Amino acid sequence: MAKEIGKDRLGDLYSHGKVRRRREWRGIKDTWYDYTRWLWIMKTLTLFLIKPRNIKGLFRYRWMVNYFAVPMMVDRHTQGLRGEYLRICHLEQDLIIEDVAKLLDNLFRGDRRLGNDTEFSKKVCLVDENEMTAILMGFPTVKGLSRETPATYVSVLLNQNAALHYIDVAQEYGLPGDVCPMPEAEAGVSIDDDYPVLGACAVQCNTTCDGSLMGNGVISKRLELEDGIPVFQLAAPLRHKEDDVQDYAAQEVRNAIAFIEKHTGEKWDWKYYFECAKRVNESTRHRMDWLDMNKTDYPQVFGSNLALYTETNYMAICGKIPAFVETDRKISALAEQAYKAKKRAAKEYRHRAIIWGVQSHYYMDFLVWLLNCWGIVPLTDMLSMVSTKMIAEEDTPENREQAIYDIAWLTENMIMRNRTHGGYKVLLDELWEYCEEFHADMVILWEHMSCKALDGMHGQFEEKARERGIRLMWVNHDLFDPRIVSRQGVRDQVNRYMRSVLREEPIDPSLEILPDENSW
Amino acid sequence: MKDLKHLYYFEKLLEDANNELVRKAKEEGKKCVATVCENVPEPLLNLPGTFSVRLRAPKTGSMEMATYYMTSFLCEYSRALLERAIEGGYNFTDCIITPDGCTMMNRCVENMELLKTMGKNNEKFFYQYMEIPMKADDNGQNLYVLQCKNHILTPLKETYGIDISDEALRKAVAEHNEVCRLIRQIGEYRKEENPRITGYEFHIITMVTYVAPKYLLIDKLRETLEEIKTREPDEKNKYRARVVFVGSEVDDVDVIKLVEDSGAYVCADRFCLGSFPGRDEIILNDEEDVLTQICRQYMYRGQCPRYMNQEKIQARRKYVADLAKEYHADGVIYEQVKFCDPWAYERMVGTVVLRDDYKYPVLAVDRPYSIGNSGQMRTRVQAFVESIEIKKIQGGRK
Repeated sequence: MAKEIGKDRLGDLYSHGKVRRRREWRGIKDTWYDYTRWLWIMKTLTLFLIKPRNIKGLFRYRWMVNYFAVPMMVDRHTQGLRGEYLRICHLEQDLIIEDVAKLLDNLFRGDRRLGNDTEFSKKVCLVDENEMTAILMGFPTVKGLSRETPATYVSVLLNQNAALHYIDVAQEYGLPGDVCPMPEAEAGVSIDDDYPVLGACAVQCNTTCDGSLMGNGVISKRLELEDGIPVFQLAAPLRHKEDDVQDYAAQEVRNAIAFIEKHTGEKWDWKYYFECAKRVNESTRHRMDWLDMNKTDYPQVFGSNLALYTETNYMAICGKIPAFVETDRKISALAEQAYKAKKRAAKEYRHRAIIWGVQSHYYMDFLVWLLNCWGIVPLTDMLSMVSTKMIAEEDTPENREQAIYDIAWLTENMIMRNRTHGGYKVLLDELWEYCEEFHADMVILWEHMSCKALDGMHGQFEEKARERGIRLMWVNHDLFDPRIVSRQGVRDQVNRYMRSVLREEPIDPSLEILPDENSW
Repeated sequence: MKDLKHLYYFEKLLEDANNELVRKAKEEGKKCVATVCENVPEPLLNLPGTFSVRLRAPKTGSMEMATYYMTSFLCEYSRALLERAIEGGYNFTDCIITPDGCTMMNRCVENMELLKTMGKNNEKFFYQYMEIPMKADDNGQNLYVLQCKNHILTPLKETYGIDISDEALRKAVAEHNEVCRLIRQIGEYRKEENPRITGYEFHIITMVTYVAPKYLLIDKLRETLEEIKTREPDEKNKYRARVVFVGSEVDDVDVIKLVEDSGAYVCADRFCLGSFPGRDEIILNDEEDVLTQICRQYMYRGQCPRYMNQEKIQARRKYVADLAKEYHADGVIYEQVKFCDPWAYERMVGTVVLRDDYKYPVLAVDRPYSIGNSGQMRTRVQAFVESIEIKKIQGGRK
């Protein structure tokens, strides 16, 4: 039990059960801080559950049981962290927890089966899990709620097995097992009628891939034809780098806004939009600062911290919630402090890696493991490399027109979508540019086996990496389904590469093989 | 039945992507425009001085190179095309125009480009990628028109000096329509109780119109139609059930043959490289510009599962049900090439809707690109035919 980074054998904390043997000792100050944050999480959960309709929700919706694993999820991401890194992680994770708790509370409030607050429901616009919510930046009184986010996306972060039931439901209904399990599970929840039913309308987007697009059709069938909730399909262009698609994209945004106005009775508010736009730009500037730090020898905001937070802030928040910008500022201050003191998050940094491809959802804390076990610093990841373009933030007549194009741009450049669509250059060529920028000596390429956009470039990645002399490590997984490749299966691929190709020994050998197959 | 006079000739044309008629048209100095998807309006590729070819990879064997580049998780159609391209099998083409339709086809063509597989001895060879609408509405139509201008017409004109005037487009549509009329007239005979053309024969005839220059085919199509008009069907109908065949790309000559050998007559074809809706005529008026009219009709009639609005989705199922009714089908076979995401979902929901809402027996199958003599597929179709027969005997639900 040690205060110093890297002194403990972190693998010894694992048991064969759902939770670990004990909490990590990080020295008095950090352990106390971590414990207070644990208490805060328990308080958030308690306050959520204290409402009778939320207790009903717990029993009505199968996926709700996963939320008992929230504290464990945070513990997984804080493994081995001390000082500023621990605080950055908690700032991010705790805010996301609070945001998801509010999302669940709102979903159950409007749900026809639970709260059935019809007046509230009339001001709700449902959105996809994988959708930029920029089209809601001008609707201060409309609640944009995603049902897929708590039902599948967050659930799998909490419990690796959370989506299995819904994947099986979709397959029993006739869906082949070779499609991406994320939209498959989302469709499965709809087939199982396990989403809250609420809202004046819904806006779906042709998001990351064909599977996601098609899964939306299953969901909208129930929404429109059975629940009577009108759905607008926002068809953002796929070849988003081309100039000749931008007018079309802007018109799609105008049509989506008109649709929301029609069904919620609310009007687009330019003042609110530009307030949100300012926050979007500030968040972008913070993210760029963190990425700049990660190009140096002292990266500060990286790994799953960067990935998970960016996904939430960039895509789901879009400047609408001021608390996220406030947290950005706190993170930047902590990062700056650690940077000036030349601090590092692990005892040894051996390799600088770009993480590319679609990360395994059931093993989101893999990046923490990479650092602690092998000293591989995950400088940035594909999903964090999103738009850094500043959008118009002053309310002028010209900017009102520009704003529509900015919303379209953000929608087109949604997380993952900005890489899986838009031609091979954004997926393939830009990776090597990032390798140079970040002085990376290694690329860890997640091969999500049913992601056709990534699989389709497999050979090109290998050839180009070889030409450039960059070490490329493939890590297979099946996104939502640990039955196909287990967490240890993921780790084994790294262990094999590090031992047999690079001839290295792990920094913390206790982490090489972990008994976490039954763990949340 | 007596063999159709030109059937063997048509079958020979399908044995090679660079077939006899393609070579002939090239000798005449015409430019060959390759494409891989039904969402590229065909008449725009068949202007005076050009002809189109939908890429196929007949007699595909090993796909090892393509599997290295795209893994075994991409559909075999996309891998077969890439493999053939790597082998140099498409060097007869002068350009390739592809929509960003499905991800797999898009990656296939991108790999062709990155690997420099095409355009040998042709410095002017170009790749064009189009954005095509995912919803049928005015905004989608404007996009379609602009994309066709920027990625088909302008490159053809600038690179090869092709005439892209309204007059040229009208001429192309007229030729296209003539082929469509012939195919539709031939297909009408599939409605007969004891049909005088098999689904296999129709599939072959339809498919050659996608892979060979149309102007060189028309005479033989006309002759075939005349021949069928007086053709005597077999005395006894050998089929035990009639089915509509619905699904993703089918260019393997053996697929329909296998289904029919298993006892199910394919009376209607709703798949990429089939006649519905690919061989619908394009009706032009004199008021509007031709390109807009072509795009509008392609967009509104399109049955591709990538159209994502619920109205279009529901219309797709109704379209199949209407075909089944019109062509007196006893059941529907929904198929997809293995690993095809769009058709995986379409097949799943389509199967349930056709069965529950339209009361048709449905068989849902996935299949490899080259089906050959697949015992699995044969067994499933045979079982499906038997289940239809049993329902007929027992007088139960259709």
